[in-house]
Amino acid sequence: MEAFIQPGFWVFVLTMAGIYGIFALGLQIQYGVAGVMNFGHVGMMAISGYTIAVLVIKYEWSFWWAALAGVSAAALGGALLGLATLRLSGDYFAIASIAFAEITRYLILNADGVTGGTQGTLAIPNPKGFGGYTDQVDVILYWIMDRLYPIFGDETSRDMAMLSVVWPFLFLFIWISSRLQKTSWATVLRATREDDDVPASLGKNVFRFRLQALVIGSAFGGIAGVFWAVQFMLLAPEDFLRIVTFYGWMILILAGATKVKGLAIAAIFFGFLYGATRFLDFWPISELSSPERAYLRIFLIGLVLVLLMVKRPQGLFGKREEMVLE
Amino acid sequence: MEQSTVKQSAAPILDVRDISVSFGGVKPVRGVSFSIEKNTFTSIIGPNGAGKTSLFNLISGANKIDSGEIYFKGDPIHSIHAYQVAQRGLVRTFQGAKVIRRLTVVENLMMAVQGNPGDNLWGFLNPSARKRFEISTREEAMLRLEQVGLSKFANDFAGILSGGQRKLLDLSRALMTSPSMVLLDEPFAGVNPTLVEKLLEVIADLRKNNEITFLLIEHDLETVMNISERVIVMAEGKIIADGLPNSIYDNELVIDAYLGSRRKGA
Repeated sequence: MEAFIQPGFWVFVLTMAGIYGIFALGLQIQYGVAGVMNFGHVGMMAISGYTIAVLVIKYEWSFWWAALAGVSAAALGGALLGLATLRLSGDYFAIASIAFAEITRYLILNADGVTGGTQGTLAIPNPKGFGGYTDQVDVILYWIMDRLYPIFGDETSRDMAMLSVVWPFLFLFIWISSRLQKTSWATVLRATREDDDVPASLGKNVFRFRLQALVIGSAFGGIAGVFWAVQFMLLAPEDFLRIVTFYGWMILILAGATKVKGLAIAAIFFGFLYGATRFLDFWPISELSSPERAYLRIFLIGLVLVLLMVKRPQGLFGKREEMVLE
Repeated sequence: MEQSTVKQSAAPILDVRDISVSFGGVKPVRGVSFSIEKNTFTSIIGPNGAGKTSLFNLISGANKIDSGEIYFKGDPIHSIHAYQVAQRGLVRTFQGAKVIRRLTVVENLMMAVQGNPGDNLWGFLNPSARKRFEISTREEAMLRLEQVGLSKFANDFAGILSGGQRKLLDLSRALMTSPSMVLLDEPFAGVNPTLVEKLLEVIADLRKNNEITFLLIEHDLETVMNISERVIVMAEGKIIADGLPNSIYDNELVIDAYLGSRRKGA
């Protein structure tokens, strides 16, 4: 229970909520605007994170160029996924996208000569004998920590510096995305959610629009991957399990898929839901063993989501009338 | 096939040459050929299952033909995508009047405009050009809504419109693309008489002012006879008659296949 009142823990939770918020922003463009159900979004984060780690550690790139390459690689991953499978209709694409993320993870797992395999990025073969890739970012993070220290004293942490970097970026991206969603490009995409024939009959190349949405969303997944990589300072294949994609989906559903501005609040809500349920150690829950409680936590998150779907299927910020139109 | 006296000019806007398609064991269109002159109004009639809508799906590129050729303004269009056909100025409306329910009525119209810089991601970087285009598009859309009496619904979701209103929206949306030819798939079915009047007025206006060629599928014979310069009759995937409206009315084959014995006796 002690950690419950420790600010450090909640700083971590909020930082992760911000990173997940950026991650979910990608899904929001893909699903909320374009109706593309991407269940392999975690693959984009993995591609980006690992691209950075490998380029910096093995090939001694500058972190910044590596980060750019990471985001580009994630976008490229989205393009490849789309070109290969986006012509499949909704449900089939969703299945193919899960496969994409799993293939990505298994590739990382098995290409140990490049990625460090099961041991993670610490085992990436490198000239210096040390598998870190955050040196250049850490300079900035430590600079921020120096500025925060007079205010927060000993509570100041690297997480806190990350928090102060991640959230402005989340707001910036939400702003850019909401601008993007006011264009006619987004209107055409919203039309494709319902029907392919109508936009096509009006001269719109539905496939091109969808592919663009997938690529942009994947780039956001890639950006989330950059922050993830910086936050954890090392990566392992099991960081990128399917469940991570679904955490992103939870945030999206909480926010209401069509409302980009709700994402930040939903991310915080999710963070607290996820973080706070760690502390369910009062009676009668305390009768359960710790692994049992871990499952109970996931179960409770699910329950809250189900209740929310029953009471507010449009999400916290969505419009109900938009859902019931026939 | 009986041909009567409809003059064909040297360069038709639409030229359909011996097209066929089959889906599994069904052959909805079997060796259909006809051509349409510019700025004319032609109707296609025929019993249910005659292949009329299938024919529209083939011309508009929604389905691909198995054999034959289709030319629009002299260019082959049978092997290009539906959106490319529309971009060339050949657009269609849908039998069930498909509207995008979760877009507003005015958005339904605005998305139809061609050459919108906002459709392009690069347009995102040029907000002033995007804005200008949007303002003029909205004006045009509001005018079209005014024309069909839907302007009061402009900012409502199109999903709230009735069936007849959706047909009006569908037609207006097709017109927003500034087409040179429109394929109308039963635009009057299920629409009340006043709205039909309105639709006909809109079409009549367009025919006076613009150079739009119309091809119509319709069951209401009175409307067809009043509005058309030429009628094509289909049955079982083939054209069984093609000519001036009056000649169709007295054609034995057509009476048997479509008009029924009631007409025979009359």
